Amino acid sequence: MDPQAQLLPGTLDLLILKAVSLGPLHGYGVLLRIGQISGQALLIEQGALYPALFRLVRQGLLKASWGVSDNNRRAKFYELTPAGRQRLREETEGWNRLVSAMTSALSARPEKA
Amino acid sequence: MRLLDTFRFFSASVLRRTRAEDDLDSELRSHIQIRADDLERSGVTRREAERRARVEFGGYQRVKEECREAMGTHLLESIVQDVAFGWRVLRKSRGFTAVAILTFALGIGANTAVFSVVYAALLRPLPYANPGGLVALTELRPTEHGSANDDFTFWDASYPDYLDWTRQSKVFQSLAGFGFDGTLLRGSSEPRMVLGGQVTTNFFSVLGVKPVLGRDFAPGEDVPSGPNVVVLSHGFWMREFGGDRQAVGRSIRLGDNSVRVVGVLPSNFEFAPLGRPEIWVPMHISGDQLTRRSLRWMSVLGRLAPGATMQRARAEMNGITANLASQYPAANGAIRVAMQPLRQRIVGKVERLLLILFAAVGFVLLIACANIANLHMVRAAGRRREFAIRSALGGGRGRLVSQLLAESMMLATAGAVLGYLLARWGTNLLIAAIPEPLLNSMPFLADARPNAAVLAFLCGVTILAGAVFGLAPAFGMSRRPAAVTLKEESRASASASRQRLRHTLVVLEIAVSLVLLTGAGLMVQSLSAILHRDPGFDTRDLVTFGVFLPPTTYPKDPDALRFDRQFTERVRGLPGVSAIASNSVVPLSGGGNSIRFLIEGRPKASGQEDECFIRDVSAGYFTLMKIPLLAGRLFDDSSDSPTASPHILVNQAWADRYLHGDNPVGRRVRFTYSPKEPYREIVGVVANNADSGLDAPYEPALFLPFTQDANSFISYIVRAHGNPPAAIDTLRAALRQADPQLVMLNPTTMEQLIDQSPSVFLRRYPSYLIGGFATLAILLAMIGLYGLISYSVSQRGRELGVRIALGAQRGDILRLVLREAGRLIAVGMAVGVAAGLTLTQLLRGLLFGVGAADPATFAAVAVVVALVAAAACLIPARRAMRTDPVVALRYE
Repeated sequence: MDPQAQLLPGTLDLLILKAVSLGPLHGYGVLLRIGQISGQALLIEQGALYPALFRLVRQGLLKASWGVSDNNRRAKFYELTPAGRQRLREETEGWNRLVSAMTSALSARPEKA
Repeated sequence: MRLLDTFRFFSASVLRRTRAEDDLDSELRSHIQIRADDLERSGVTRREAERRARVEFGGYQRVKEECREAMGTHLLESIVQDVAFGWRVLRKSRGFTAVAILTFALGIGANTAVFSVVYAALLRPLPYANPGGLVALTELRPTEHGSANDDFTFWDASYPDYLDWTRQSKVFQSLAGFGFDGTLLRGSSEPRMVLGGQVTTNFFSVLGVKPVLGRDFAPGEDVPSGPNVVVLSHGFWMREFGGDRQAVGRSIRLGDNSVRVVGVLPSNFEFAPLGRPEIWVPMHISGDQLTRRSLRWMSVLGRLAPGATMQRARAEMNGITANLASQYPAANGAIRVAMQPLRQRIVGKVERLLLILFAAVGFVLLIACANIANLHMVRAAGRRREFAIRSALGGGRGRLVSQLLAESMMLATAGAVLGYLLARWGTNLLIAAIPEPLLNSMPFLADARPNAAVLAFLCGVTILAGAVFGLAPAFGMSRRPAAVTLKEESRASASASRQRLRHTLVVLEIAVSLVLLTGAGLMVQSLSAILHRDPGFDTRDLVTFGVFLPPTTYPKDPDALRFDRQFTERVRGLPGVSAIASNSVVPLSGGGNSIRFLIEGRPKASGQEDECFIRDVSAGYFTLMKIPLLAGRLFDDSSDSPTASPHILVNQAWADRYLHGDNPVGRRVRFTYSPKEPYREIVGVVANNADSGLDAPYEPALFLPFTQDANSFISYIVRAHGNPPAAIDTLRAALRQADPQLVMLNPTTMEQLIDQSPSVFLRRYPSYLIGGFATLAILLAMIGLYGLISYSVSQRGRELGVRIALGAQRGDILRLVLREAGRLIAVGMAVGVAAGLTLTQLLRGLLFGVGAADPATFAAVAVVVALVAAAACLIPARRAMRTDPVVALRYE
């Protein structure tokens, strides 16, 4: 069985917001951070990342600025805007509600129904 | 300045675009470098690390395109890109571009030209206040009761009836009367006849029109002895007074009177029922007109009260008419009243014609559109590989569709610009093709030029056409996965649904061409039938003109007779003139009086008498016209002198209708408008001749000798050999010698009169136009069919090669190709004939001497379409026949 979990549609944006909330990151850094905080269970396709980043910038949830990476390469860094922080909070709550609802639904036993 | 701004705007957005593009590129590149750094650390060479990083990253261009989309669509920039690219594509395929633009231009140009005329006539509001509330009214004589479609020739009522309507009606807020007359304008220059509107004093206020200068007529100015006042049309004011504001208060000489100018009308004022009057005077109603209820001469116009409907107005007027009939049985017993909205009264005669032309030209646009769609689809099929590659490189479906749209919009726009120029020219042509007398009765057409509404319509059509054709091929292709297209590229198979669509379009084109050609064929036959109809007299070498004898110089009948005798003697002495005669109305000129009569020994209830045309003719009239005498004798000056007992002639139609085959000669007839009228003896019967129009049936008519019923208006008819303009000049000189005061009115030749008559116009105009449209349609359809078969042959090159290699003869190949074309042609013709049988019914009112479903016309048109269509297929079929199997097989 594939140890990596399938990414649910719509969750990529949430993951990116979460990753960036821990500190400004360049694109490749976002990929690494998501891998790290998910225990390498969630791997993002490299090509899919950038359109998502641009979308979030356009929505005003992220802002981008050029900087220098750890290994001295010029890279674009992303960080959360206040709107992004707000969105992250809302989406996290929503996700938690969904997860607990799903969990209780899936753990229901026949005699309790 | 504007141009500079536009330039800045474009350059700024292009610069911004370039920066964002650079940004994106360096960001993605940096990503790959950082990843490669990581890979390098794990021990591979730098080159290998970069290669792996790129492979992991995936489709670089596709990601870029997705990022661009995620950044937001830069609409303007992508349009600029599309247009620039489209420009290159269209320039590369000049043939296609030229054919497409020309097709657009013809379709749009022809449509706009016809729409301009339709708009001016049918859609533009009349220049009156609240024109929808205006209604035309008429009293119908028993002979008119059966008139179809409320299409009445005469619109008139008697003055006493008009007054009763005004008094009794509640539905009409107000009613006004109008008529017209020609009067001699005398001034510094040569006296000339001007057309004057004669109206009740409230006429302009009922229309809701105010003079721009001076005042309207005042109540009381229309009494018999009323003051001589005149309101000028704007045109007359400009011509005669040079637009001088001091004109009001000055006087002009009309006939024998000095008339004071009291007002000037707005420049946009028109009143089509009277043509184009130059001046307006109050009616000075007197004598019989004032009191005789059976003298119906005045046109009436009403304004509905607020909230009133035509239905209520009809109901109320029927009640009033019934009352008047019982009150005055002799005058009104058999009279009915009809009414129409004023607009309908004005355009009723041309409305159907214009709508038919509009439909015909709409068909042309339809074919043009089908053709362009076909061209696009054929081309799109050729460009499948290009699109597949672009889509593999990351071109989204939306971008491909927008690219196609941009190309077709560019074509449509170029076509629209060219079409607009064509339309301007075409509109002028459409107006110029209307004979002047008819144009004068439709003053609103003077305005027919491509105006804002027309331009809006043009743009609408263009955009719609562009969108339809841009999308048709886009939908045909963009659903196909790129890989499929690329893989099967060498198999050159067209998708079945697109092929079906193309076939449908060609079938449609053939069907529509057939319908238009049939319509044109029927109209041309009607025109020819009407021009070849024997009018009952010899129309060759006839010159006609009118003379008005002013009552001051010619107060009594003997004065008119004296003038007539002297003048005709002088004319008979002129070189080239073989005869001169007169009639109160020139045949085929339209108009004329009718009269109610009783035949001795055949009594009728008062008010129920028969009514027929009445004409005053001179002794030599029938001989000159070469109208044969069938029984009795013709008039002559001695037997029918003013002092002889009263005599009349009747025509064959009269004898047939009222005497049912009895011998009319010797019977006596009495006119019933006055009890003092004597019995008049019928002395002869003449053959019928067409009178009110070449398309009208022979109508019963009575003829009085001019000697016994002299008139102050005389229409002379001269048979003069040689050049008509020269003859007219000679006659004018003779008239001046007879009396220098007199003016020659409306000189014309009979040929010209026929040529410009409504009955000929109503056939000639659509003959030319539908004929032109049909030619255009069949040409376009040929191009469409040619394109389709060429394409199909080029697609089937390999199959044909195999067949030839296996021994198929050239004839077999030809048959193979023609069979495909033949099926389309046959289906198209079947659809066309079926549609034609329905649609030609619309022409019924215009057809003359030919049925709407005339089998000969349908057969002839079908043969023409089949031959033309076969010819269009022949070139590609011959190419197929000459296919070299070796080349065809290797090439694939």
